[in-house]
Amino acid sequence: MIGEGRLTREFVAYGRVDDCPVIDTHAHYGPYQAIHFPRHRPERVMDTLDRCGVRWMLTSGHVALVDPRRGNAEIAELVAQYPDRLRGWWVINPNYPERTEEELDAFEAQSGFVGFKFHPNGHGTPLTDDRYGPVLEYANAHALPVLSHTWKGAGMASYREVAIVADKYPEVRLLMGHAGYGDWVESSKVARDHEHVYLELTAAYSVRGALEIMIEHAGSRKITFGTDHPWFDPHYGIGCILSAYMTDQDRRNILYRNAQALFGLPLEGAGAEGEAT
Amino acid sequence: MELWDCNCWYGVPKSPPVAPAETVGLLLQEIGRAGITRALVRNAAVWECSPEVGNVLTSEGAAADERLMPAWGMLPPQTGELGTVEEFLAAMRAADVRALWAYPDKHRYVLNRTTMGGLLEEMQDRAIPLFLHRRESVGGQHGAYELADRLLMDFPRLRVVVVAHGSWGEDRLFRPLMERYEGFAVDTSRYELDGGIEEVCGLYGPTHLLFGTNFPEAPMGGAILTLLHAAISDEDRELIAGGNLRRMLEEVRL
Repeated sequence: MIGEGRLTREFVAYGRVDDCPVIDTHAHYGPYQAIHFPRHRPERVMDTLDRCGVRWMLTSGHVALVDPRRGNAEIAELVAQYPDRLRGWWVINPNYPERTEEELDAFEAQSGFVGFKFHPNGHGTPLTDDRYGPVLEYANAHALPVLSHTWKGAGMASYREVAIVADKYPEVRLLMGHAGYGDWVESSKVARDHEHVYLELTAAYSVRGALEIMIEHAGSRKITFGTDHPWFDPHYGIGCILSAYMTDQDRRNILYRNAQALFGLPLEGAGAEGEAT
Repeated sequence: MELWDCNCWYGVPKSPPVAPAETVGLLLQEIGRAGITRALVRNAAVWECSPEVGNVLTSEGAAADERLMPAWGMLPPQTGELGTVEEFLAAMRAADVRALWAYPDKHRYVLNRTTMGGLLEEMQDRAIPLFLHRRESVGGQHGAYELADRLLMDFPRLRVVVVAHGSWGEDRLFRPLMERYEGFAVDTSRYELDGGIEEVCGLYGPTHLLFGTNFPEAPMGGAILTLLHAAISDEDRELIAGGNLRRMLEEVRL
């Protein structure tokens, strides 16, 4: 059912595979304006993680997308409550540039966050805008990850803007949220041509054929898994990856190996099926 | 568990999806790989060209394999492309077509009692389900629900299924219809919301959800794995996976 290989058989049978722990690199937390979430409260998030075999989730607050001062503090508390399952993305809202220095100081003072989260489309500010500059300079100096929403469409957060930022800040570990949705070939080539640019899969996995394009042009070592949880059930994304034409080694690279290497997260019992390819 | 896919297609649309399935053979290959038991299928020509062209192609394609069941498109009887209501129903009977799709936006008509009253009365009486693609209904992404609501107010025993509702959760749009109309359902092809299936089952029962894949636009595995491990009873899971569509089609009186 779905496809072939041991990972498919075991995810179908059990919903999780113990030696293939999943790392969700793109999640959110809390209610949001335009959508009802049945599973956004912490105990239900933990239930989902267990049910789907998600070992780590990297999350940013929906509140933080509007008001980072309040929302990042909320995520800091959440991560402190679940230090063995969650890490945070520190949201930057470029529409309040006068707060950036304060945000960077606050980020530096904490330990539960892996990097910064940008949403250029949501904030109406192109990824190349100067207001992101201080944060990108900081991330570049510390070789930190930045997860940015990326999507087809000129002038905001497409592969073009990613390439410009990646050229200017080559040490930033830049995750293209939604894999530059719609510009599959071009986005994959940007990831291929920039050592520290990655394609993050949220929503992109639901476009049949897109994953195969990414693997052809960028390779499975440049792809990470994400779900926008609580928007999407991790099983939906995992099922799409099982449907795609690739090897189980590719699936392991996507589901945990690449994120493990990027974020240094401990994984017990992972990768029993051989070395990364 | 039997998987009956209520929403898949093949053919050559004007703008192809990333990975097209231009032939029925490619559709069958994926159906076999995914373990789909039966599939209600339509050719892209139904909406892209005209039901006059697409209905014929759909039936020809469905004849290739016993797992496939044809679904046709409908048009206003006043312009006569598909004959009178009686002639259209006779053609459906001859081809064993048990489900219809409407594309009022693309095909430029008003789907209401004035335009389609005769056919909709027959569909209601004969339990022929009506499928609406949320993207192809007048009024954009919310239009399919407003349309379904108007149709069900006028034809309360009609069976209406809205498919491919998109990744932005639309529960605030479709749950009121589930609450009010026994014959309203959505497919699960893009019901990616974590906990959505279990909440709908708990609130309204399993009969308002039909398994669908939205193939070839989406991979089949996402909808399958989500349903397999949704926190619902096995009885509800089997109804959503296949039982609901099977019963819906068996109850059709052509």
